Amino acid sequence: MNKQNAEAHTPLSPSLQANVQAIRSRFGESSDVVIRVFRSDAAPGRRLAIAYVDGIVDAETINRSVMEPLMSLQLPEYVIEKGARLLEALRGCVVSVGSMRDIHTLDEALQYMADGLCVIMADGSAAALTADVNGGEERSVGIAQTQTVIRGPQYGFVESLRTNISLIRRVIRSSSLHVQIHKVGKQTHTNVAVLYVHGIVDEGILKEVYRRLAAIDIDGILESGYIEEFIQDETFTLFPTLLNTERPDTVAAALLEGRVAIIVDGTPIALMAPTTFFSFFQSPEDFYQRYDIATFIRVIRYVAYVVSMLLPALYIAVTTYHQEMLPTTLLISLAAQREGIPFPGLVEALLMEMTFEVLREAGLRMPRAIGPAISIVGALVLGQSAVQAGIVSAGMVIVVSFTAISNFVMPEFNMAATSRIIRFGFMLMAGMLGFFGIFVSGLFMLIHLASLRSFGVPYMSPLAPGGAAQGLFRDMFIRMPWWAIVMRPLDMKMRNPKRRPNKKKPPAQRHSGKP
Amino acid sequence: MQRIGKNQLSILIILFLIGSTPLFELGIEAKQDAWIAMTLAAAAGLLLTAMYLRIQRRAPEAGLAELYMMHFGKWLGGAVGLIHMLWFAYESMRNVRDVGELTMIALLPLTPKWIVMLLILAVAAYTVSKGLEVFVRVIQLLMPVAVLSYMVIVLLLLVARLPDISQLKPVLENGLAPVLKAAFPDLLSFPFGQMVIMLVFWKHVAEKNTIGRASYWSQAGVSLFLILMNMLTLCVLGPEVSSLSALPLLEAVQLIRLANFLERLDVIVTLLLFIGLYVKMTALYMASALTLSAVTGIAYRNWVMPIGAAIYASSFLEPNNTYHIWIGLDITLKIVPLFQIVLPVLMLAVGLRKKYKAARPAA
Repeated sequence: MNKQNAEAHTPLSPSLQANVQAIRSRFGESSDVVIRVFRSDAAPGRRLAIAYVDGIVDAETINRSVMEPLMSLQLPEYVIEKGARLLEALRGCVVSVGSMRDIHTLDEALQYMADGLCVIMADGSAAALTADVNGGEERSVGIAQTQTVIRGPQYGFVESLRTNISLIRRVIRSSSLHVQIHKVGKQTHTNVAVLYVHGIVDEGILKEVYRRLAAIDIDGILESGYIEEFIQDETFTLFPTLLNTERPDTVAAALLEGRVAIIVDGTPIALMAPTTFFSFFQSPEDFYQRYDIATFIRVIRYVAYVVSMLLPALYIAVTTYHQEMLPTTLLISLAAQREGIPFPGLVEALLMEMTFEVLREAGLRMPRAIGPAISIVGALVLGQSAVQAGIVSAGMVIVVSFTAISNFVMPEFNMAATSRIIRFGFMLMAGMLGFFGIFVSGLFMLIHLASLRSFGVPYMSPLAPGGAAQGLFRDMFIRMPWWAIVMRPLDMKMRNPKRRPNKKKPPAQRHSGKP
Repeated sequence: MQRIGKNQLSILIILFLIGSTPLFELGIEAKQDAWIAMTLAAAAGLLLTAMYLRIQRRAPEAGLAELYMMHFGKWLGGAVGLIHMLWFAYESMRNVRDVGELTMIALLPLTPKWIVMLLILAVAAYTVSKGLEVFVRVIQLLMPVAVLSYMVIVLLLLVARLPDISQLKPVLENGLAPVLKAAFPDLLSFPFGQMVIMLVFWKHVAEKNTIGRASYWSQAGVSLFLILMNMLTLCVLGPEVSSLSALPLLEAVQLIRLANFLERLDVIVTLLLFIGLYVKMTALYMASALTLSAVTGIAYRNWVMPIGAAIYASSFLEPNNTYHIWIGLDITLKIVPLFQIVLPVLMLAVGLRKKYKAARPAA
């Protein structure tokens, strides 16, 4: 830290030549650093220079708004003589770029250049100007790829922080949407933006977010996942305690619920905190579709989550320990299938589950062109042939397939991944202790869930601790019509916990049918 | 200090009192009048709760150990607190053993009991180490499961037309005497008198003025529920079979046969019993640790493991299930009134003579 401070105080020299030399050498003579020294007729005897890093600036803006005005400089006499005021005048009446800043040290100059700004220096002045000419190639705003909806906005975040913030600004058009940018990473100097809606957010949680962000000490942040692992409450848990999304509407909704959003430059994935378990079961579409459809789908989602976590374990438990639970005909058909199978249920299930996980990962990593191959290998070779060869039973293939499909219902990938991992624990316990094993491990999981917190908010709220009295259940397992959801969902002290004044349907003109 | 809300208190009381109660057909000594015995005991149970609340109100921020020390002096009170703490641990042990026996009867006949009991106790110890707040949250999560399962059971029993109300007749065949004998002190001691444990937990409730109302209503509600379940089992099985069966509710549910599909619902019952036993075991274990910590002044978390180890070790002392049930229903129930009635009454009496300042700080 001290060393950094010392470096940061290397002042700019009054000599333009020296500054240019210093910049070149500090950048290691990098060939993409452009320093252009030139003279302007209007300021004889004083050379000007602009410096920037090629590729991360917008060349068009530099030419039009910086170079052109500087070249055709016509300044009043007194400015040219009193050198110190030259830069001030440049800023005041020449360079036509929105955001400009005075800097006095070499390291600031270097940092701004690395950030994609253009530095303007003049001979004889120990200061410089920066002009915001940020630009360069970036992906244009496109359709959200990982969290798709049928009804609702389709666009997703891109890699540029500036664009991403603007996407949210376009949804919440209010001055109470506040944006604070922090730099994190000693080498990458990544911009990390904290967004919140002033007046809704809990100040305590906001402070905690700042505190945790400030405590991050690492050389580089390449993705919001880095930030997530640094600021989450509990490291040793399988359950994610921060939501992430690539959808601006999801972030906007979270902000309106009193959450804090964290957007990291260079990634389309934004983080939201605090988060509760139940928010992972909410797709943005739940709120755009009619409430009855949304409720149905949400219930399906909870069921699917339990299925994807427990089904193989239940199958193992039933076939190994509690055969009497099945209706007799089903039991006979299952027993007939399993007749020639050489493995116990647990081994069979582990084999198939591992196979599926491998297939799934392969499907994700392999080049797109050979994608169809995976379905052939997966469906025919591993599924059908394995059954025909008598290595696994058909029932097990059905169970594993349905488990796998159920897992894809989850709108949040990281929560879905949790159930994939926990599934194996349940399977092992079921293989050893049947239903009792499932019960004990389920209880263990519940206790763990009940002890988790996300930025101080209990993870299982509003179910435990309960918020029934405040009407927080209206958007948990079911989704009530919008007009009935009065309270914001989080269990925390918010300045403004109500979204609506009361639970009243807006009056509609009722037609009696008579003319 | 950890704080819980009034709804959480209610749910704690409800699931705690349900606990392992449906395991047994209580008051079956009164034959078809078991439910009357239950009703009488439940009413008396509310009176006991009124007494506990009265004591607790003298020092709302004091737990059981602090109350003993306030009333009986530091040394005597501490000693009584220690004995009561041992009693909590003992009762917790009984539930651990119940889980072991139940698993053997209903689920895993060949699995050694030590591993079953070790696992359930590990879960309880994990909960206790996380503290009361997490415990009540877990109960809140279990509550919907319990409610749904009971609803399914009752509904299916009714749909299958198994209950036969005439099983309850004739009412009071042999007069009130056998009913009273069944109700007192046995039924009062288990489950209703176990409310004495709330003296440990009440001090953690944030809104002190709501304790009374929440406790009465939830206890009254759960008493009603237990009486109804008792009646239902009686109606399905009849007094003779009920008195012979090891797990009457399980037996009753096994009779359900619907649509050639819903046949084996034992699992739901077993799950329910496990939930109840877990809640009871953990509450008692936690009460034990809290009381010991209050008496000795040594931090709560240091007691979690030693008490757990003691509970685990002592759960092997009884040689078999028959012995376990005999001790539980005959010996234990004779000692319990000491903790549920004698000691609180003594406290109440001592307290009447002492003048208490409105809010005396804890010990």
